[in-house]
Amino acid sequence: MRIRYSATVAGLAASALVLAACGGDDEDEYGSGGAEAPGSLSFYTDKAAWEPQFLQVSDVSENALGLTLDFTGYSEADQYSAFIRQSFRTDEKPDLFTWHTGSELEDLVAEGLVAPTTDIWQQSIDEGNVPGDLREHFTIDGEQYCVPMNAAYWVMYYNTKVFAEHDIKEPTTWDELVAAADKLVAAGQTPFYETNILFSFVWFQTLLAGTDPELYAALSSGEASYTDAGVVDVMNRWREMHEKGYFGDPGDQTEPQVQLKNGTVAMINFGTFLSGQLNSVDMVSGTDYDFFIIPKVNPDLEQTPLIFETGPICTAEEAQNRDLALQYASWWMTEEAQTTWANARGDVSFNPKALINDEQLASLNQEAGTDGYQLLERYFEATPTPVLTAALDEFSAFVTNPGDPMPHLETIQAEAEAYWSDQG
Amino acid sequence: MTGTSVAPRERGASYQWSARAFGLPAVLVVAVLLYLPFVWTSVISFTEYNGLGSPEWVGLANYREMFDDPNFLTSLRNTLLWVVGTITIPVGLGLLIAVMTYDMRFGVWFRLPFLITYAVSPVAVGVVWSFVLQNGGGLSQVLEAFGLPGAENRWLLDEPMNTLVMIGAWAWQQTGVNALLFVIGLQSIPKEPLEAAKMDGAAGWRLFRHMLWPMLRPLTTVVVGLALVASLKTFDIVMAMTEGGPGRSSETLALTMYREAFVNSAYGMGSAVALFLSVVTFIAAITYLRRQLSPRHEW
Repeated sequence: MRIRYSATVAGLAASALVLAACGGDDEDEYGSGGAEAPGSLSFYTDKAAWEPQFLQVSDVSENALGLTLDFTGYSEADQYSAFIRQSFRTDEKPDLFTWHTGSELEDLVAEGLVAPTTDIWQQSIDEGNVPGDLREHFTIDGEQYCVPMNAAYWVMYYNTKVFAEHDIKEPTTWDELVAAADKLVAAGQTPFYETNILFSFVWFQTLLAGTDPELYAALSSGEASYTDAGVVDVMNRWREMHEKGYFGDPGDQTEPQVQLKNGTVAMINFGTFLSGQLNSVDMVSGTDYDFFIIPKVNPDLEQTPLIFETGPICTAEEAQNRDLALQYASWWMTEEAQTTWANARGDVSFNPKALINDEQLASLNQEAGTDGYQLLERYFEATPTPVLTAALDEFSAFVTNPGDPMPHLETIQAEAEAYWSDQG
Repeated sequence: MTGTSVAPRERGASYQWSARAFGLPAVLVVAVLLYLPFVWTSVISFTEYNGLGSPEWVGLANYREMFDDPNFLTSLRNTLLWVVGTITIPVGLGLLIAVMTYDMRFGVWFRLPFLITYAVSPVAVGVVWSFVLQNGGGLSQVLEAFGLPGAENRWLLDEPMNTLVMIGAWAWQQTGVNALLFVIGLQSIPKEPLEAAKMDGAAGWRLFRHMLWPMLRPLTTVVVGLALVASLKTFDIVMAMTEGGPGRSSETLALTMYREAFVNSAYGMGSAVALFLSVVTFIAAITYLRRQLSPRHEW
């Protein structure tokens, strides 16, 4: 009898063990995403490949603040997004994590999950560490959330040898750019890179922003329709450019930096982070490649629209090391942090005081801040996620088989109407 | 032994409690890891939920929206192409290779190359075949070199060709393992009836049709059943080769589910697609297996 009783107890004990295993640890000492000490902040990002650059900044912050980053990188953006969303339902909320501006950030703020950074922004603007214009992209209902992780401008990269071979100078007007493309096509050289994977929106963004920046902004906020005449005109211009043979094969999966290096294409409309990628294939800035600001399509515009992108670093409102993480976020915007970060990445910085080693990028960093340019947020961040997903699919189909743009625009508009009606 | 006597009924009850206690861990594992996610997914499919905050009950709205979406219907069509393609090509070719080589001397050397591809993961297969099938890739270059038509085809860009060539890539990997399974089945068939049939003059197609095929039926059922389920949930190779594009032209139901849940963070809609896919897979598998394993079933 005692043996049988013991067997029952043993069985229940085994069940308890299973439940305990499912339950996990009660609490580790510092409790935040594997951070090992209060001087180490748990940091999550979907930019796993940027680990060396983040760790370079972490080395500097260790001296400056006594704080380091406990890095966890995801290389798959969708998986990362699901992980971060789920982490808010656990006790392991991230001290610092990279995210997206726009609707993705609004989702988190609506649930009170992100710590506000209004004071940090005001201080950084007062100290000249960040242009005031950037603040609106981090503002929801009058409060700021997160700080900018990086900044990049979208410009036109070109292979200097191909330009020299065809005696082409950097275009300063849209007509000159078109003339350069015609000249290249006549010589059997493909002018522009284009892809149907992820970055299928790039030329839509360039043509619409360069033609009518107000319409570009209105489209992002749901105040304009994708089927408006202005948008249709832009799509038709894009189609004509395809018909003239301006674009490379959108299905070519060769990396853009390799295509530019090999001369498969003469120019690439891309973010300034391409500089780092070009350097990685042994191209030298100013010698093998260079870039210019894409001229405005509509010559009547007073300013030249310049697309920029920025991604935020955020702090969870209920993170274990919330205050230290906010201290780190504040430091991230300083000249010291941004000089290290931008040079490690081979990119520009949002901080105009950052000392950029690459002369071309440094010059762009200065020029972008002048009155001649109107900064417009990249389409990818400016567009709500469900609309963006539909748009990327439709632009992908359009660049693969350029034809009547209306069915594509109607599909995107249907998604946009569904999204904006949900927003009330 | 201890001098106390236990009534048989009491002893039985005690044994039952012990047995239940020992069974509890396994029941808990199944409940927590299998039943709970299924029930949770089913509930979420009737809600609007972005992974944050609380799900909002919307009844059948996700299902209505799903069936109204032309992209979902494209996805359904592509999934059906995968089902038909997977059952006819890798399974059919596997059977053909097995029948032709199972009693052949050195037959293993003919089957081995087909089996090697099974060691490659579907994602790696997808990446390699992308190089072959992309515009101007390996296939187009070979066709051009030999002056054959088709060099200009955009294999991965035009629908439904992109789905068909991906089924071809899948067949490249899966044929070998199907051949192996059929060989095991063929080698386990008793020799005597086959020899008797051969003595009666049966050979070739007649031998296959009236002897090998019926005797192979239990194994064929398993192979086709596995292929059916695998094809309904096709994901990895398409994700690696086209990500369901261009546009959404090569998307399958599993990709639609992923796209809604993890790209759009529309967990309600993603769960609705997941539930639909699960129910279709379940019904297809059960219907097929019941029919095939019924003792009254005749080929």
